[in-house]
Amino acid sequence: MPAPTADAETTTVRLHRALYAEDAITEAAETFAGLASFALRADGEHYVVDISAIARDVDGDVVAEFCNFALANSARRRRSGHA
Amino acid sequence: MPMSRSQIETLNAGSSTLTLSLDVGLYPRDVLYAAAYVFLDRAYVLLDRRESRFVVHLRAKRPLDEPTLHAMAGEFENELLAQALRHQVAAANQRIIEDVVSVAIAGAAGDVESNAAGTLEGAPLIDPQDPEDGFVADPLGIAHPWEPEKPGTG
Repeated sequence: MPAPTADAETTTVRLHRALYAEDAITEAAETFAGLASFALRADGEHYVVDISAIARDVDGDVVAEFCNFALANSARRRRSGHA
Repeated sequence: MPMSRSQIETLNAGSSTLTLSLDVGLYPRDVLYAAAYVFLDRAYVLLDRRESRFVVHLRAKRPLDEPTLHAMAGEFENELLAQALRHQVAAANQRIIEDVVSVAIAGAAGDVESNAAGTLEGAPLIDPQDPEDGFVADPLGIAHPWEPEKPGTG
C-alpha cells in the first residue's frame, strides 16, 4: 500500500469517497481511539484522515489496521444496504 | 495471458507490497469489496480509484518473496472472478430467493390471507384449523416408520 504521508507527529491517509463510507471510517476511528487520535475531513474525491498520538508500544501497524477496519466496515455497510 | 483488464502495476518484495489496477467496468464495487475482504486477514488492503480503474494496494502482514507476491496477485484476481460469479448468480436468483423465503415465512406464520383475486399467491401452505388439509392425513402411508421385520416376528 502507498506509504501514508507522515511527519514526526502525524500520519495522513487518503481514502477514496467512492469506496469508503464516512461512517465506516468514523467507526474504525472509534475502534482505534485507544491507540491513536483521528481527525477526518473531506478533500475532493477523498476523505483525509490525520492520525496522531499513535501508541508506539503496540504490536502491529495501527495505521494499516485502521485502514483494514475502515474497508471492512465500508464493505459490510454496502452489503447491508447502508451505503 | 493478456492483462488488459487487470494488471500488476507495482510489486516490491522488499516491502512485501503490490499494486493491482482493475477496470471498473469489469468488476463492480461489490465484487471488489468481497475480494478485498477475503484478504484482510493476511494483508493490509487499501483501495483507491484512478479515473476508470480501481487501484488495489496490498501489503502482506508477513514478509513475502517475489514469487509469493505474484501468487498473491493471482489469487486476488481469482477471487475477483469467483466473487463476480457469485454476484451474478445472486442477482439472477434474487427474485426466486425472495419468493421462497416469503412463502416459507408465510407458511410458518400461518397468518397470511388469500389476496383479493383469490389466487394461491401468498396463501398459507397449511391451514392448521383443517384436519383434512394434508397435514394430518397420510393417504400414502408415508408417515409410518419402516424397519425390516425381525426373523420370527412375521
